[in-house]
Amino acid sequence: MGFGDYPAEYNRSIHGPYDPARYYGKPDTPFGQVKLNELIPWLSRRNKSPRAMVAAVSRAWWRWQHKYLHVKRGGIAPFFQITTVAMIWFYTINYGKFKNHRNYKYH
Amino acid sequence: MLTSEVNRRKPNEKNGSTGLFNQLSRRTVNRSADKMLSRLALRNAQALPAIAHGAQALSSSSEASNRPVRAEFGGKVRLGFIPDEWFTYFYPKTGVTGPYAFGLGLTTYLVSKEIYVMEHEYYTGLSILLMCIYGVKKFGPAVAAYADKLIDEQITDLNESKNSEIEYYESSIKDEKHSQWQAEGQTLLMEAKKQNIAMQLEAAYRERLAHVYSEVKKRLDYQVQIQAIERRISQKHMSEWIISNVLKSITPEQEKATLQQCIVDLQGLAART
Repeated sequence: MGFGDYPAEYNRSIHGPYDPARYYGKPDTPFGQVKLNELIPWLSRRNKSPRAMVAAVSRAWWRWQHKYLHVKRGGIAPFFQITTVAMIWFYTINYGKFKNHRNYKYH
Repeated sequence: MLTSEVNRRKPNEKNGSTGLFNQLSRRTVNRSADKMLSRLALRNAQALPAIAHGAQALSSSSEASNRPVRAEFGGKVRLGFIPDEWFTYFYPKTGVTGPYAFGLGLTTYLVSKEIYVMEHEYYTGLSILLMCIYGVKKFGPAVAAYADKLIDEQITDLNESKNSEIEYYESSIKDEKHSQWQAEGQTLLMEAKKQNIAMQLEAAYRERLAHVYSEVKKRLDYQVQIQAIERRISQKHMSEWIISNVLKSITPEQEKATLQQCIVDLQGLAART
C-alpha cells in the first residue's frame, strides 16, 4: 500500500463512497465496553504500528469534523473546542514555567 | 408460370400474419422500444463494467445506504463547547448535577492546591473569554442567520444544477424513446411500401396474364376462323362443282320429260281439287 492510498480493507463496491472517519477493518469490542480483565488482551490485539496510530488519530479527527465542523448549520462550538484543547495543550507544555508564578509556598 | 406465382405469393403470406394494422398498435411499439432500451443498457453494462459499476454505486439502494449523510446540525454542546455526551455519561451514577459538581470540584481542587496557577495569562484569558462570550451573544444570531442564508443559497444552487441535469437527461431519454418509436414507424412505412410494391407487381402480373390470355385467344380464334373459311370455301367449291356437273349432265330430253311429268302432276293436282 503506497502513500495516500485507501486502506486495504476498503472496497468501493461493498462500502460505497470512502468515508475517512470510518474504520474498514474487522471491528473489535469498543473500548467503552471492554471489561477490566479483558483490557490486557484487548490492548495486545491493537495494531501498534506508527501507520495504524496515525490512521486512528486521523479517523478521530475526521469523526470530530463530521460531527461539529462539516455540518450544514454549524455553530461556534468547534472553534471553542479547538481553542480549549489548544489552551490545555500549551498550558501543559509550558507548565514548568507557569509553576514559578505560584503565589503560595504551602497549600 | 405456376411456380413463379407461388414464389411471388410467399413474401405476402409471411407478412400476412403480422399485418400493418396489428403493428400500428402503439402499445406494442412502446413496449418493444423499452425492451430495446433495456437490452441496449444491458449490452453496454457488459461491455463497460467500470462505468456500470459507477452507475450502480450511484443508483442502487443498498449502496445509497452506505453513503454518509451530512448532518443538519452539529453535535449538542453545553457551556458553548463541552459535548453533551460528557454530561449524559455522568447521569446514571451522579444524577443531573453530577457533571457540574465534578467540574466545579475539580476546578476548586486545582486552584486551591495551585496546580492550576493563576498567573497573568489567567487574567488575560478571563478577559478574552468575557469578550468572546459578549461577541457570541451579541453578533452570534446575526452571523448565524447570514450563514444559514448563504448555505441555503449554495444548496439550492447545487440542487438546481443537479435537478436540471437530471431533467435534461430524462428529457433526452424521452426524446430518444420518441425517436425510436418514430423509427419503428419508419419500419411500418417500409412495410407499407413493400406491400404497395407487391401489389403493383401483382397487378402487373395479372395484367400480363390477361394479355397473354387475350393474345393466345386471338391466335386460336385466327386458326378457328382460318379453318372455318377454308371449310366454307371448299364446301362452296364442292357444291358449285357438284351443281355444275349435275346441270351439265342433264340432257334436253330429260328436261322435256321432266317438264311433261310436271305438267301431268299439276293436272292431276288440279283435277283433285
